[in-house]
Amino acid sequence: MSSEAANPSALRGIWDNLKSTPKRMYGSAFRSGSPKTDRTRSSFVFGNVFLHLHSVRTHIWSLKWSTTMGLGIMTTAAFFITLVTGILLMFYYKPYPDVAYQSMKDIHFVVPTGRFIRNIHRWAANLMVVAVILHMARTFFTASYRKPREFNWLVGWGLLVTTLALSFTGYLLPWDQLAYWAITIGANIAQSPREITDALGMTQYLDIGGLQRMILLGSDEVGAEALIRFYLLHVMLLPIVLLLLMAVHFWRIRKDGGIARPDDADELVSTDPKENYPVFTDDPQKTYQLAAVVKGTTPAVGNGPERTLPSMPHLFYAELGVLMLTTLICLALALISDAPLKEIANPMIPENPAKAPWYFLGLQEIVSFSAFTGGIGIPALCWLGLGLIPFLDRERSGSGKWFGGPGGWTLFKWSLLVGFGASVGIEAFAIHFGWLREWFPSIPQLAITFINPGTVLTLIYALFSVWTVRRYNSTRAGAVALFTCFLCGFVVLTVVGTYFRGPNWEFYWSPSDWPGH
Amino acid sequence: MKKNKYLLLFSSIGVFLLLVYAAASENFFKEWQAIQAEAKSSEGPIDVRLRQIINPSLKTTDRCVSCHVGMAPGETVVSHLRVAAPHKPVVHSPIEMGCTTCHAGQGLATERLDAHGDVDFWPEPMLPAKYAYASCGRCHTPLEVPNTKRLEAAKNTFERLDCYACHRLDGRGGTIRPGGKTGMEGPDLSHTGIKGFNKEWYEGHLAKKQADTSGLWENAFAEIGEGDRALLDQFLGLQMGAPTLIAAKAEYNSVGCAGCHIVGNFGGDTGVDLSQVGEKDPNRLSYINVPGSKTFPNWIAQHFRLPVSTVAGSQMPALGLSGDQIDLLTMYILSLKRRSLPDIWLPKDRVKAMRFGAREFTTDGETIYTAVCSGCHGAGGNGMRYPGLPPYPSITNRDFLELASDEFVFQTIKQGRPGRPMLPWGVRQNGFSDEEIRSVVTYIRALGGIDAVPDEKPARWAGGDGKLGSRLFAANCAGCHGAMGGGGEGPALSNKNLLASATDTFLYETISKGRRGTVMKGFTEPSPVRKSLTGYEIESIVTYLRSMNAK
Repeated sequence: MSSEAANPSALRGIWDNLKSTPKRMYGSAFRSGSPKTDRTRSSFVFGNVFLHLHSVRTHIWSLKWSTTMGLGIMTTAAFFITLVTGILLMFYYKPYPDVAYQSMKDIHFVVPTGRFIRNIHRWAANLMVVAVILHMARTFFTASYRKPREFNWLVGWGLLVTTLALSFTGYLLPWDQLAYWAITIGANIAQSPREITDALGMTQYLDIGGLQRMILLGSDEVGAEALIRFYLLHVMLLPIVLLLLMAVHFWRIRKDGGIARPDDADELVSTDPKENYPVFTDDPQKTYQLAAVVKGTTPAVGNGPERTLPSMPHLFYAELGVLMLTTLICLALALISDAPLKEIANPMIPENPAKAPWYFLGLQEIVSFSAFTGGIGIPALCWLGLGLIPFLDRERSGSGKWFGGPGGWTLFKWSLLVGFGASVGIEAFAIHFGWLREWFPSIPQLAITFINPGTVLTLIYALFSVWTVRRYNSTRAGAVALFTCFLCGFVVLTVVGTYFRGPNWEFYWSPSDWPGH
Repeated sequence: MKKNKYLLLFSSIGVFLLLVYAAASENFFKEWQAIQAEAKSSEGPIDVRLRQIINPSLKTTDRCVSCHVGMAPGETVVSHLRVAAPHKPVVHSPIEMGCTTCHAGQGLATERLDAHGDVDFWPEPMLPAKYAYASCGRCHTPLEVPNTKRLEAAKNTFERLDCYACHRLDGRGGTIRPGGKTGMEGPDLSHTGIKGFNKEWYEGHLAKKQADTSGLWENAFAEIGEGDRALLDQFLGLQMGAPTLIAAKAEYNSVGCAGCHIVGNFGGDTGVDLSQVGEKDPNRLSYINVPGSKTFPNWIAQHFRLPVSTVAGSQMPALGLSGDQIDLLTMYILSLKRRSLPDIWLPKDRVKAMRFGAREFTTDGETIYTAVCSGCHGAGGNGMRYPGLPPYPSITNRDFLELASDEFVFQTIKQGRPGRPMLPWGVRQNGFSDEEIRSVVTYIRALGGIDAVPDEKPARWAGGDGKLGSRLFAANCAGCHGAMGGGGEGPALSNKNLLASATDTFLYETISKGRRGTVMKGFTEPSPVRKSLTGYEIESIVTYLRSMNAK
């Protein structure tokens, strides 16, 4: 009898549990309750594996639009947009020569919203490249790479390379003439060490350039091997690498004490008492002492947290806002402009001019003078220089401020002048008067490898930078000068390569002047 | 920090609006959907869905039928929409072959501009309707096509003998039934070139006529002469349902293109190989000097008018063709696609041309002459002068034809003139047989209307003094024929093949009498600028010429 009596109550218990399950389920997902108090807002952030990459509170300085301009989040947003649209495209895309082109046409014409999604993917990818470069410039010009953020600068450095690699590998996949010849050019740039080995007569013993090209293409020509290789890199390996690096990058921001800010940021943001948010005044059930266990200068330790806001919701408004803005930009561009799809790839008919993806056109411009300088020399110098910046500049002044440090705005403006002036000047000179090969047709290639518009430009920039170091007696000043100059050089060469180079890489004011071929 | 909230709000609203717009245009604003929504079959409205014709072995995926829905498999649209109408009956069912196989265009596309293909980066825009039959050339190679003159003659014979009365040809004729109500309509002759026809048809007709008692055959059929029968046989062999393409090819065989250009297995190699010239990508052509539309057909037409201004550096002379001729030749060029096909799609004619070297023109002397020789030597054999090119000699010149034996002309055609534009037509790949060359020689004789004067002398009889000949050559001949006889304004005389086949009489008489109508004057006649030559002196020159051969 007793068991019979117990049964109804147990069943009732199950029924009651069932009834309260939605509430319990909600409670188990949102364990800290709705984020209405500082405490629940904090636990909302650190109780969530994704959100806890953020610190619980964010300094007002970091939320100012002028601090970061949202460029990092914009890059991330663009990446997630490419991720989503890319996965959708993968449902239809077939990575095999000719079939690939066919599937692109299907995506373009038949797959519901296929063209729209491809357009978004393409625009988001381009936006990501632009944003990541601007983000790097922001980090540099606000001197945010300095201790303790040197490592994060290096992670970002890796992210830049990965982003370019992702974009480049995606370029081949449509398998049209544009893709085919751009990748052929790209692969030839990878082969450029041959210029040196050829000049030294050692290519047959040690063909570094050929090996690089072979690794990239998996064959002597751009073909099925290259396509599957690029596809695998594009949809799997590089995204994984990028995601891992991104996780590290974000987590380091928190561990390094948030976005870099000047020492007097607290005073700078506001002196208005209303803007002064006290911490944990309501519902102070938990202390923040555990943070003291962590080694180093972790967020709130040793700093007054008064000029901070709870990340939930203030930071997330900002982040989501930038995410939606990025989405908006991509959607609008996707509706305005279709991603290009030329004729099917034809190895027998080279494009003339065959142009690499736009972000490599600056390099291609230098490659047109010397393959080694443009393909290896200058890129290697840039990567190396970028990586070394935080270890060479150990000054403290100006951290977290735009164009902070000795020189400031004035130096930046002069650097812009030198950067643009020298690159435009050299280009104009080389285009108008030709270069060594035109003057001395029999000159050895090695001489041109060392003396060409690319190296001369680099030399001018380097000399200007050295002069700035002495003038301001500061490494930072030299770095600002050099970085600005290289950025200007990148812009000028890319613009020349994109808009002013026609068949046989001749200079033309406009594509309408190109001769028919 | 309100502005972040507003950023989020307004960006989200913007994204939402753009997505609504994209969804609407994706679902409601597509032209093909609107067309299908309006189209009705006899049973009412039809399903609105993407339609396509796929033929994997021809590599066609044609979505044209999404708009042209009346041509879609299994649809019988009765509405009055122009683009939705059913296709008119044709040899190859569009449902099997797809649309782009004949019409070109971009089958994968679903929007009008893209589908019709006159957009950047699509190599095969739609052919204008008047050139649609050019697409037969993708798979077919019409064989044994005569020149325009003979084709017209054959066509006229068919018409004149009233074959249309009983037979249908390309949708025309075949209305009278010889056997009355119970009788048979004459068979449709539109595709006799492909399907073949009874070679004994004439005998059959005659037998029927004799056996017939109703009187119908008696009136309908009369005896046909042998010449007309040969023309009719030739005509029947050409019927493939594409009369304009045959006419175009006949035109190609009428203006001597093959003298310089290869198509398939035959032609001269002075010019560009045209076998697949119809596959040119219109996006890769220069239209700088091409007036009118930037389309491939227009480019070809302009090229025929002024080759060198269309293609810089082109050696092709302006041939002075009429508008109709250019239209036909353009059609023929467009037909030169000769795509590689899977075996099951290879028609017999293509196999014959590809694997067995079958001739694409008839091998009567006249057609060979107009197809191969007339470009340089002129339709009347009077030679041609094109600006910037060496003059091409007249071969119907009275003085030439009188002196040149048939053997001389035969050897000239067969062996050619090494180093000169005249190719060795008998000894090249798939070159002419001796019999074919003889028919050309006969035709040239007929063209000039002059027989060779019989020559009793042996081939070599000239005596004289070689050294004297050398001096006289330098003084009298070198100006036109070159210091070493290598040719200049006049033909090359040191040419091995010329000296091998020219008799002494030929050389002697040419020097002494000259060639009327050319700058070659007879040297026995005195002129204001030089003395006349004696017989001995001319013999000496001949001897000297022979010594050139020895070198």
